Amino acid sequence: MRTRDWLAVLLGPVLLLIGWQLLATGLEGKALLAGPVEVLHWLTQNIGLVARALGRTLGNAALGYLAGNLIAIVLTGIGILFPKLLGVIGGLALVLFCLPLIATGPILRSLMGQGEGPQITLAALAVSYTSLVTLLTGLRAVPSAWLDLVHVYGRKRFAELWFVRARAALPYLFAGLQIAAPAAFLGAMVGEFTGAERGLGVLTIRYIRALDVAALWGISVVATVVSIMAYAAVGMMARLVLHDLPPVVLLSSPASGRCGKGRFRDAVVLVVAVLLLWWGGIRLLGLNPFLAKGPLDVAAALTWSAEASESRAALFLAFRQSLGFALPGYLIGLGVGAGLAMLLVLVPAVVPLIMPIAVALRAVPIVTTAPVFVLFLGRGATGTITLVAVMVFFPALVACIHGLRQAPGQVLDVFDVYAAGPFRKLLYARIPAMLPALFAAARMSVPTAVLAVTVVEWLTTGRGLGSLMALSASTSNYRMLWSAVFLVTLFSVLSHAAVASLERHVLRIYAPEQVRQ
Amino acid sequence: MQGITCIGLGKTYRGGIEAVSPLDLNFSSGRTTALIGPSGCGKSTLLRLIAGLEEPSVGDVRVLGQSPAEQRRRAGISVAFQDPSLLPWLTMQSNISLARKLARKPPDPARVARLIGLVGLGGFEKVRPAALSGGMRQRAAMARALASDPQVLLLDEPFGAVDELTRRQLARDLSPLWKSQGTTTLLVTHSVDEAIMLSDRIVVFSPRPARVVADLEVPYAAELGDGPEFRSLKDKVLTVLSASAAMAK
Ligand SMILES: Nc1ncnc2c1ncn2[C@@H]1O[C@H](COP(=O)(O)OP(=O)(O)OP(=O)(O)O)[C@@H](O)[C@H]1O
Ligand SMILES: [Mg+2]
Repeated sequence: MRTRDWLAVLLGPVLLLIGWQLLATGLEGKALLAGPVEVLHWLTQNIGLVARALGRTLGNAALGYLAGNLIAIVLTGIGILFPKLLGVIGGLALVLFCLPLIATGPILRSLMGQGEGPQITLAALAVSYTSLVTLLTGLRAVPSAWLDLVHVYGRKRFAELWFVRARAALPYLFAGLQIAAPAAFLGAMVGEFTGAERGLGVLTIRYIRALDVAALWGISVVATVVSIMAYAAVGMMARLVLHDLPPVVLLSSPASGRCGKGRFRDAVVLVVAVLLLWWGGIRLLGLNPFLAKGPLDVAAALTWSAEASESRAALFLAFRQSLGFALPGYLIGLGVGAGLAMLLVLVPAVVPLIMPIAVALRAVPIVTTAPVFVLFLGRGATGTITLVAVMVFFPALVACIHGLRQAPGQVLDVFDVYAAGPFRKLLYARIPAMLPALFAAARMSVPTAVLAVTVVEWLTTGRGLGSLMALSASTSNYRMLWSAVFLVTLFSVLSHAAVASLERHVLRIYAPEQVRQ
Repeated sequence: MQGITCIGLGKTYRGGIEAVSPLDLNFSSGRTTALIGPSGCGKSTLLRLIAGLEEPSVGDVRVLGQSPAEQRRRAGISVAFQDPSLLPWLTMQSNISLARKLARKPPDPARVARLIGLVGLGGFEKVRPAALSGGMRQRAAMARALASDPQVLLLDEPFGAVDELTRRQLARDLSPLWKSQGTTTLLVTHSVDEAIMLSDRIVVFSPRPARVVADLEVPYAAELGDGPEFRSLKDKVLTVLSASAAMAK
């Protein structure tokens, strides 16, 4: 039984490897794809170089991981002790999460100078939001009876946190830490894309210029394996500490459960807070006004300065191009993810074959392998759209499979009593149970899609917002760079809010218990 | 008047469900009162109001002359909830000693060990709640409620999931514990036998919203659990219960 389980787990990856090798052999000489043998050869030849670069990247990722998670824990603690601040804290974290990392990199570099600072900061930015949201979910997922117990003895909020919530949230903390591990790696690597001196990302840039196919595939493989290992390592640690698996956390929105008026007030407070922090931060840190642009500078650049109409036109064009890639990719990724999940429920025999690969690949920051996609699928629309779709696909697939399994056993039993077939069960019991998961994935995938599209454009295609940002960074056009960051962030936050609002409407019908707080 | 006093105490939940219609009741201190009524009539709600876990919609509660909040702050109240709500990550023993920690009372391993023995859970000290049966969990919750030496003890169907024999034995073993301490005790139960054997007084409630339909003293002779006094009182309670149920229909 045990050996058979292992064989089932290994079968998928082995098939994958064989398929990859066959494809590589078939395409030999086209400089598109390096097969496993070629990649292994390149890696053994350059083992020292890769190890040094990887060490640097991992070091930065680890520091960012620590910092980002510490920030998340502290913010969560503040939010639990002062629940009035929760809306604003969640909102601020979301804004940070929506920053286009690829453009934030050069801005940080211009302000922090050379060195590892920007990479570490980006790694921290990439993890803090997901960690915050998972932790908050955990701290709230406490049965009210446990809190009553604390209250009976006349104890308040702090005892609640100390005796009940903190421990109850531990599995969620680990779930967050697990998601954060590959995310930190991604942050560090994206930071290296934007002008660091050492690290895997720097190697990537170098080999893109040299069009070294084997090297690019080699680095992508290393990034993939390292991410999966980091994800698995945290999972194993969690199992040691918790004696059971961390929960599958479908990142519910921290602002959910607020009524319309409360949400509006939170939004206003959030806008004011962001503007104040932006403006005040620049003042307090005494940043160079040539490099650091405040809200007024950006407003001027977009509206009343002399070049405003020109910048607007450039931004608008780039925005339209990027959206043309991001939106189809996003929809395809979600659709295929949900569709495949449903198919898997109808054909359960293939689940053990696909699930391990899907869970493993979900952990991979696909963006770090962007060059390989572009290499293989070309610089046109196909490569970019596919990359976005793949980034969105894996989290959607895993979330949807999880959701489909959530259909309560008794409900399915009722269907069995009436001898309803698998299609009816899917339609009436499982799909409604899947919707919350699908929407959670859809919401969290908005910034992912934006990240994916901007990174590909930055690295390779020469079109869209990413390319505009790259150009602005290299020509020191900081006004344009800050404007682009501002607009992209605004777009991500608004789209996120739009999906969340759609989500609330749908869930109110299909899963009312999820909306009620 | 000491003890627990409800003055025009009523509760209507959000959404308009009236669980308790304004009640005037006094439970004198040091005595045990059983509360009996049909399921869903508002007994748990009444206990929650007295413990201050729920705000009254109208009226007021005084617990030993103070508000529930003040009384809780002095760790004077303990509740054994209908749902045992043990913390799953603590062993059974730690769940019980947790009550003393929450009550800010010094640890008392001897008392905890004695309570564990009395509820018949000796040997399960290091076991986590998930590995205990429903009845065992309830007994642990009962021990937890007693662990903090409360002045007011609110028991919400503490033996609901325990078999009849064990139930009788627990009643015999545990009740001296609070009776000898002069604890003011309210016991919600669906078992008329248990109500008679454990308490000095029985209050019978109507179907929701809870109103008092009978208020009976339990003569000492009935408490022994058999004999004519016991049977006549039991008949009386059952008659009142079915009459009020019929009225509601
Ligand atoms: N938190 C709540 N919100 C709304 N209604 C509630 C709430 N808690 C209880 N109720 C309602 O109040 C009424 C009384 O509930 P309560 O739990 O007090 O009954 P009970 O007498 O303890 O019943 P049982 O014997 O079944 O435990 C019920 O109709 C219930 O639906
Ligand atoms: Mg009850």
